[in-house]
Amino acid sequence: MAYMWKSIIEILILWIVIYHIMLFFEGTRAIQVLRGIIVLLLAFFLFQKLNFIVLDWLLTKLFGISVIAILIIFHPEIRQGLARLGQRHLFGANLREDELENILQEIGRAAENISKNKLGALIAIEKNTPLAPYIESGVLVDARVSSDLIEAVFTPNNPLHDGGLIVQHGRIIAAGCLFPLTQNQDLSRLFGTRHRAALGLSEETDAIIIIVSEERRDVSLVYRGRLHKDLSQEELVSEIKEAMKIESV
Amino acid sequence: MAKKKISIGYRVLHLFTYHPWLKFISLVLAMVVWLYIREEIARFNY
Repeated sequence: MAYMWKSIIEILILWIVIYHIMLFFEGTRAIQVLRGIIVLLLAFFLFQKLNFIVLDWLLTKLFGISVIAILIIFHPEIRQGLARLGQRHLFGANLREDELENILQEIGRAAENISKNKLGALIAIEKNTPLAPYIESGVLVDARVSSDLIEAVFTPNNPLHDGGLIVQHGRIIAAGCLFPLTQNQDLSRLFGTRHRAALGLSEETDAIIIIVSEERRDVSLVYRGRLHKDLSQEELVSEIKEAMKIESV
Repeated sequence: MAKKKISIGYRVLHLFTYHPWLKFISLVLAMVVWLYIREEIARFNY
């Protein structure tokens, strides 16, 4: 009886670990590689069960080499994962509910005004994954979140207007930041560099990204590689709140 | 949000609706890995 319970606990721990590894890679390009590895693992197990000696030998050798390959392929993700270990702070972890509401309303208002003025904007809100590498690519601001400041940053001819603005711990931490472009070839040609950068960042991090399109004058939100288009100010605020609620349960 | 109050009902619902397939696949994988390791241990008599 004790052995059975120990076995169940062991499987449960393994399940949680594997689930979190898969969750970590979900929405990134690495998930496709991970899927391939899982198929190979299942095939390996099956070949062993069926006693297919040659195929079993082949896969055993392949796994030996693949350890090095995985380290090379997943190098950025492993580094990011190690940096994330133990870091469970969320945007505004020390913020009161009314402070957070105020910040979201300011962001919503700024997006609405920028859209009305036929301008473009790209705003990223840090969640769990640190955006430090992207903050370094821009100019440090470290200011209170206000719609006026956000609108000022995205005013044309402003040195910081080209690039993304990052909100961290309830403050505008940097502007003019460079985000990675998505490699998704299926993305409609209607989407410009701003949308590609937002999707690229959301594929690599769990940041919540707001885009105001200059051409179509609409406000969109990108979270975990998914694009939510044509949002009103209220819809935008509620979508951000929803994205913030989602935790890795 | 860390400080945002999330009801227990929402958490339970979230447990089943958030990535259900990922949860299922990882459970299958956990069982396969556990069975494989147990067999290996038995074979080499660790």
